[in-house]
Amino acid sequence: MIVRTLVFLLVLAGSVTSAQEAARARAHDVLISRQLATEQGLSVGSLVRLATDATGTGVRTFRVAGIYEPTPDPARLGAVPREVRMHLPDLLDVMRPPGALAGTEYIANINVALADPADATAFARDVNARMPGVIARPSSEAAGSAGPFRVLERFHLAIAVVTIVAATVFLLALTIMLVDERRETVGILRLIGLPARRVLVQVLIEGVIVASAGAAFGLVLAVLSESLINAFFQWRYDTALVFVRITRDVALTSTAIAVPLGASATVLASWALLRRSGLRLARR
Amino acid sequence: MNAVGFAWRSLVRQPARAILGVLGVAAVGALLLDMLLLSQGLIVSMRDLLDRSGWDVRVSVREIPGRGGRVPAASETAARIAALPSVKATLIVRIANARIEREGGPPIAATFEGVSGQSNRGAPITAPWTVLRGRDARGADEVVIDEAIAKTANLDVGGTVTLRASCVSDLEALPPTHLQVTGIAEFPFAGTNEEGVGGSLDALEAACGGNVGDEADLLLATSTSDSRETAAAIRAVVPGLFAMTNDEVVGRLQQTGFTYFRQISTVLTTVTVSFAVLLISVLLTVSVNQRLGEVAALRALGFSRSRVVKDVLSESALIVGLGGLISLPLGLVLASGLDRILKGMPGIPAELHFFVFEGTALAIHVGLLAATAIIAALYPMRIVSSLPIAATLRDEVIG
Amino acid sequence: MSDVIVDARTVGRSFAMPAGPVHAVRDVTLQVRAGDHIAVRGPSGCGKSTLLHMLGCVEAPSSGTLLFDGQDVSRLSDARRSALRLRRIGFIFQRFFLLPMLTAAENVELPLSEAGASRRDRQQRTKSLLEYVGLAARADHRPSQLSGGEMQRVAIARALANNPQLLLADEPTGELDEATGAQIAALLDRVNADGTALVIVTHDSTLADRATRVLMMRDGRIEPEATR
Repeated sequence: MIVRTLVFLLVLAGSVTSAQEAARARAHDVLISRQLATEQGLSVGSLVRLATDATGTGVRTFRVAGIYEPTPDPARLGAVPREVRMHLPDLLDVMRPPGALAGTEYIANINVALADPADATAFARDVNARMPGVIARPSSEAAGSAGPFRVLERFHLAIAVVTIVAATVFLLALTIMLVDERRETVGILRLIGLPARRVLVQVLIEGVIVASAGAAFGLVLAVLSESLINAFFQWRYDTALVFVRITRDVALTSTAIAVPLGASATVLASWALLRRSGLRLARR
Repeated sequence: MNAVGFAWRSLVRQPARAILGVLGVAAVGALLLDMLLLSQGLIVSMRDLLDRSGWDVRVSVREIPGRGGRVPAASETAARIAALPSVKATLIVRIANARIEREGGPPIAATFEGVSGQSNRGAPITAPWTVLRGRDARGADEVVIDEAIAKTANLDVGGTVTLRASCVSDLEALPPTHLQVTGIAEFPFAGTNEEGVGGSLDALEAACGGNVGDEADLLLATSTSDSRETAAAIRAVVPGLFAMTNDEVVGRLQQTGFTYFRQISTVLTTVTVSFAVLLISVLLTVSVNQRLGEVAALRALGFSRSRVVKDVLSESALIVGLGGLISLPLGLVLASGLDRILKGMPGIPAELHFFVFEGTALAIHVGLLAATAIIAALYPMRIVSSLPIAATLRDEVIG
Repeated sequence: MSDVIVDARTVGRSFAMPAGPVHAVRDVTLQVRAGDHIAVRGPSGCGKSTLLHMLGCVEAPSSGTLLFDGQDVSRLSDARRSALRLRRIGFIFQRFFLLPMLTAAENVELPLSEAGASRRDRQQRTKSLLEYVGLAARADHRPSQLSGGEMQRVAIARALANNPQLLLADEPTGELDEATGAQIAALLDRVNADGTALVIVTHDSTLADRATRVLMMRDGRIEPEATR
């Protein structure tokens, strides 16, 4: 009895396995995003059933042939990319309403890779001329649809301007204090005959050195922060998007602003001091 | 002379330094206030916009209403929803593109909203627009238009607008429709450069040559009681659709599109406060170091440790307090400018604001500035409290 | 009732230095009584100022016992010592240490304000002190508008604000010319004559000669044979 039950179970298991294997063999391949795979506990070889709505309309079974990392899309920041990629005929099969004839579907976009990318503008012009109702444009122009990011750029620039203004004000306050600490020395130098211009040149050299050192330190800090900020946001949004990038231009612009600002602040503070007589400066 | 009076005199002793310190705090404080306004501004504004519309449940085929896809069998679906005891009224909303013709200029691109409502127990049906002049559109040949269209096309209440609508795709070439303008309205969800036309679903159908189909971009509902219960009841009745209360819509937006602004406001708030603490601390420390002799003399004369510490803290509080006061109007002006920049984003309703003034934000602003004043003063306070009196007096004589 | 204000018994003060401890004051036994006029002299670095700071409860001794009005100073908390200095001791410094952003009157008023005197009392006392030092007309002038001698007179008025038993002066004429120094010396004599005990550390022999006791210090100790 036990032996018969065992044999029955084995045969049952075998036939289920065979059915599964047959289903797997019949199923077409799809690729799924890493996030979907993690969320649903799927792996390569898993069978998935895909439909167009929650009631299961047009459901088809597919086999997961691979798991991919979706290209990060800044326009969809915060949305978890639960994506499936399949061959176009499979997608059309799933999406086709019952009773509709094959071939009556439409697609939204066609991406074209040209043999010579420099031909893009001419190619788009040709397509637009020959196919009314179809809009072709080079990918570089599609970046115009990145309107939100142009706006964000202006927003970030406005924030940066305010920060620089605040930093400049504080810098002036600090340099006035630091220059005032040396008023006695400056007074004595003036009393022994050094012209104001000579003192200012000295101060300017010092200011440039200190400001350059400060700018260099600031750049190092920025590069470190870049890694931290990117790491944090990439973890937070589970994305490979880069949020902060210190480019050569950014580094040069920052230095070009910081060094003259720092040097000018020191010279301005010193100039205000040097307007007083050497005797007044040297007096305790 | 109490600590605050003493601190004031210490500040005015070096007016240039004091003014610059206060202005620096004002600039930083303004930025801090704006980041606090930004952190919740979008959410508060969106919630207000949704609540003002008069509808508290939104039904669509997507989690975020208005992002593609239409509700099929809209009339039947709306009727089933309207039949629920917790539903006061429903509204079918269908949106189409329209081009308004005008003399001596290119056509004006606009969005045509066609609505059809059903009410239980005589509850009012509010259109998703606000009539400013004239009256709402009722018949199949009546519409309301927004101020911008009225101005550009030289139209007013009682005039006739000629438009071509496309309900299926932009490739349709339908004959123009002439509709009577019964009112000038405001469309709260229209973008900054988007023009709006509103009317009944019949008017939209007429404009689209009858090519509308029984679909809706959005179904709206009002509840008799708790909107969450209503949303749950709707989900039970139409399981394939997303029924979300206004709070749930805002919550969803908070997780997706709006989340960037919360994150950046948190990052910038942290950076701003750290910046302010560092700079005020340096200002105070240098100032204290320049008058160690005076402090030692005061201690020798009998000023207690707590008194000299209070003097330093009062100085910090004065700089931050005065700067904080100036930062309020400065921050509001800056917020207005930043809001204008961000509203340039495509698809953002013109009535939506990124920076919204809230009492909570102000309270947090005051709290953060107070914390800044205290933390910035910690190191200079430590210097004066642990100052060796005799050694300092000796050094002053030698120096 | 004892008229001993300060009773120092074999007090010493050492400072830890990288090269080893420095004994600034060693085994000093000294009593200051009400009405005393004491000058402390000696070469630079002999510990005069350190002794003065200990007498004024600015520093506690490293060894020995220092009693101020019968209280052991080393057992007192910093707050108690500050209170002592505020109400019972006055300090005058070589470099005056007037607060530059306050007027002469406000500088004098500071200790009174800290001691909790009422506004009326402060104003009255300040006026009388400035009259006492001959600067009533300069009450609203800031230190930068005063000469060295005038600044020291304001400092003396400030030191007397709370009617101290003991006035300690560290080189009060160090930064003044001879004539001005003589004026300050005369003022200090008057303070002492009015009942305040006076201990002055000075290099100025004319100032020291006006004292009833002159203590010579060398290497941190008081030389007994120099005591007058």
